[in-house]
This record gives sequence, C-alpha cells and structure tokens, in this order.
Amino acid sequence: MKFVGKIWPRLYIAIAIVFFAAPLLSMARFAFQRIPVISLGKDNLFKRWTIDGLLTTLRDPEFAHSLSVSLKVAFFTVLVLLFLMVPTTLWVHLSAPRWRGVVETVTILPYVVPPIALVVGVSGTYRSIAPWFLASNYSLVPFYAILAMPFTFRSLDVGIKALDLRTLVDAAKSLGASSGRVMWNVLLPNLRTSLINAAFLTITVVLGEFTIASLLLKRTLPMYMAQAQGSEPQGALGLGLLILVLTTILFTLVSIIRKKDSTNINAKNINSGMVP
Amino acid sequence: MSALEFVNVSKSFGDVNALSNFTIALEQGELVSLLGPSGCGKTTALRIAAGFETSDTGSILLGSTNIIGLPAHQRRMGMVFQSYSLFPHLNIRDNVAFGLKVGGVPGDVRKKRAEEMLDLVRLSDLGHRMPHQISGGQQQRVALARALATEPHVLLLDEPLSALDAKIRVEVRDEIRRLNRDLGVTTMFVTHDQDEAMSISDRICVMDNGVIEQIGSPRNVYNNPATSFVAHFVGSINSLPRGNTRVLIRPENLVLATHDESAQWRGAVTDITFVGAFTKIAVVLDNDKSSVSVLAISSQIDHNIAIGKNIGINEEIR
Repeated sequence: MKFVGKIWPRLYIAIAIVFFAAPLLSMARFAFQRIPVISLGKDNLFKRWTIDGLLTTLRDPEFAHSLSVSLKVAFFTVLVLLFLMVPTTLWVHLSAPRWRGVVETVTILPYVVPPIALVVGVSGTYRSIAPWFLASNYSLVPFYAILAMPFTFRSLDVGIKALDLRTLVDAAKSLGASSGRVMWNVLLPNLRTSLINAAFLTITVVLGEFTIASLLLKRTLPMYMAQAQGSEPQGALGLGLLILVLTTILFTLVSIIRKKDSTNINAKNINSGMVP
Repeated sequence: MSALEFVNVSKSFGDVNALSNFTIALEQGELVSLLGPSGCGKTTALRIAAGFETSDTGSILLGSTNIIGLPAHQRRMGMVFQSYSLFPHLNIRDNVAFGLKVGGVPGDVRKKRAEEMLDLVRLSDLGHRMPHQISGGQQQRVALARALATEPHVLLLDEPLSALDAKIRVEVRDEIRRLNRDLGVTTMFVTHDQDEAMSISDRICVMDNGVIEQIGSPRNVYNNPATSFVAHFVGSINSLPRGNTRVLIRPENLVLATHDESAQWRGAVTDITFVGAFTKIAVVLDNDKSSVSVLAISSQIDHNIAIGKNIGINEEIR
C-alpha cells in the first residue's frame, strides 16, 4: 500500500515533465541541430548542435524593428493599464465594494469576447472616423490593454486584499499625508510586487499576441516570427525558445520577490491575529 | 477653553442613528474614554473627530476653531488603530518619521526626532527592524510613537489594545497613560472594555445607541450610575427585590450571612468560583428565584458554604 502511495505521485510528475519537456526538446533539436528534420533520431541526439540559425534571425534588421515595435507597444500598454486599473481597483476596495462584482465582470470580458470580434468592431468604427489612429503602431495599445486587463485587475486585487488598506490609508492621512502622498508613499510601495507582476503579465500578453496584430497589419514580434517560419524556420523556432526561457526566468524572479514581500505582509497579519 | 469639543454632533447611516447630539468637551491633557458596546457610536465619534467620517450636523472645536470640513490630513490628530497600522514597507524608524517626512521636516531632524520618540516608548534599539519582525505590543507602541511624533493637538485611540493578549494589554495600557501624563497630550480613547476604561481614564463617557448615557470620573460612573444601562454595563450588578421595588446592588456590596436568620434575602448557593483574592458565589433567591452574585474576599469566607446550601445575604452597611 505504502509503495503504491509513493509511486502514483511520482508517475504523475514524470508524465507532467514529459508533457512539458518533450515539445521543448523537440523544438530545441529542430532549432539548433543542423540535421534535416527527417533524419533526427536518437543516434544523432548530440551531433551538430549550432546556434547559427538563431544568430541569423537575431541579426535580421526586421527582427530588431519588430522587437522594438512590440516593446514600445508593451511599454505603453503597461502604462495605460496601470494608470487605469490602479485607481479603479483601489477605489473599488476603499469606497465602492459593491461595485467590485461589476468591475470584476468587466475585466473578464476579454476572455469572452474573441479578439477578432473586438478588432472587426473597433476597426470598422475607427476606419471611418479616425483612420490615422489605425495607421499608427500604437493603435494596438488599447486592444492589448483590454486583453491584459483581467491579469492586471486580478494581480492588483490580490495585492490589495493582502493589505489592511483602509487602516493604512487612514493612518497615513492622520499623519498629514494628502491623497497624492498616500498613493505615492504608502500604496504604491506596498503594491510593488503586484505592479511588477501585472506589468510582466501584460508584457507577455503583448509579446505573444498574433490575431489583432495580424488583422491590423502591424509588424510586431509575433508577426515577424510567423513570417520567419517560412524563410528561416530554425531561427524563428530558436527565437521562440529563447523568449520562452527569458520569460520563465523573469517570472521566477517575480515570484521570488513576491514570496519575500508576502512574508512581510503575512507575518504582519499573523502577529495581529488577522490571517487573511 | 477646551482642547477638543463636540457640539451636538449627529450622524446617521441610512436609518441607523450612529450618533445623536453628541456633546462633550475634553480639557487640555485630559484622557477621556468613550465606552460602550459595539455599535454604540463611539468609533463613529472618533472617526468624525479624525476627519475620516463626516457628521450630518453639529460642530467640532479644536481650541476655538471649528474643524468640520477640514480634510483629515490637515487636522493634526494623532491616531492609533486596533489593527497595527504600521506601514509594512518601512522600517520602524521610518514609520515613526513618516508624519515628519510628509510634513517636510528635513532628513536629519526627523531622524533625530524619530529616535527620541522610540526612546520615549523604550524601543530605541528596534529602529532598523521591519514591522513584521517585532511583536504586536511593540508594534502598538511604535504606532503610538508615530502618532505622537508630529506633536498632534489630540491623540485618538481606536481600541488600540483589543488585538493584544492580556499581559501585553496591561503593559501598553500603562504606556498610554504614562505618555498622556508625561506629554500632557489630550487623549480620546475608544474601548468596549470597562476595566480598560476604568483603569486609564480621567473621565469616562458611557454610550449606548449613539447617545451619551453618562460622563464622569471612573469612580463616579461606577458608584453613581446615572442610568440602569450604565449600572449594568460598567461592572456587574444584581437586581434584588425590596418591598414592591427592586434595588441594584454590586456583588462586592453584598455580604454573606450564614447564621443570620433575619437576613434581608435568603437563597440557595448554585455555584462557587474561586478567582484568587476573591470568590464569586452565585445564589438563587428563595422568594423570586432571581440569580444574585456575591463577591467576597476569599480569606474571609465561611468554610461551611457549599453548593446547595441555603444562606442569608445582607446589603453591606457603609
């Protein structure tokens, strides 16, 4: 019985590892081994590895351009989202808890409305009233802000719930801090992890979004990768793998910071007998 | 002129009158407790004074200035909350210096002042720690230091001891009393705990349903309760029959009269609880079956008293 109890969890973990690792390994072999796909087998697992394909792609000026477009769009999407969602989430928690359900529902809408419906609706409208808007790369920003809204709201919501928000705000005000000061010197520092988390999630949404960019004909990174699959497939896949590894590292860092911060907050709550 | 004065302050939340014509004046340096059950309006009064809640009518005078309408951050009221409200991202010293920082006090001056304040609450060696690294009692003392660092007009304390365990509670309570006396800061202390209010206050304001029942010194409120609510809420009290009426007598003002056949009341002992120096004896009266509790000094109790035994009770003659 004891043996069975031990073997099942291990088996599941093994299956999970294979499920996630096998495609990555295949991807890596395709991207970094100078061997025709048809001859890839277990005999040549360690032969002719090279990053030439990836380097060719990285040197492509089109890559640099698309990366810069995506990063700029990501930057402004993060700004717009935080500018909208930080005050909204704080307001919901401080002054209008009964609106929480409504805000939550609104932020979930992007899950329900398919991107194509969003683009067709919005682009149809703007093409007639403000065509210049759709011409700019930054026309992606509002779309991406909507797509990333659920992550931003949830991330901030969780961060705020962990704080004794009302008391912190009151304490700061009684000490002479104006609303701006409260926001800048108390709320934002304590929501640091949530903000970073929200920003990274938003960036990954932007770096991975294809449908809207494709429909609006923007040369973003995912668009470039889709195209490069035809001309330089090894490089494109190598790039995909690189981005995957980089984002994994980023999120690991974020979760380390978050753990550190949550020990602060949880320890505080346990001391005061108010475990969240 | 009073340091802080509420004049006919009223506040309702929907149909509920949280505060009705609340009027009280705090003298400079005085410590006044607002005492009452939860929902009696005591916290509402405090929050209106702090500027976190607006009143429907009435005025609040700080010295001779009406501060109704003045935003919370301009009122210079130091406040300490029930839940430790230290800023989790700042160390202890920076927490204490926060009010000075937003007040534009230069860095070296506020650092010195923060150290002084920490000295005052005897926590000067903890300045570099983060809030989660110190105990609850220490956090509340830091919160006191932080509230006092800006030299507030009035110190407002909203059940500051409720989250602490019994021993620490007494320590922090004594600390509050000491600071109030040493610094002469006018203090308003909200609590639902009558022992706390009795031991710390110059005056107690007993409240129920948004109305002041009585204002007076602890001794006065205890010995001469103005209403039946005050008599029952502050300390415990017995209601005993006398002729056609009933009298209210505190347990310690009753004496057991084991051998007195002509005792004022007679009844059967139902419970004996030993609480150290005192022993509480519960009795059910023979004539109307009402429950009475008698508090006697343990060393003076007749050893023959036992559960089920019929005894006499007299009012203590003073």
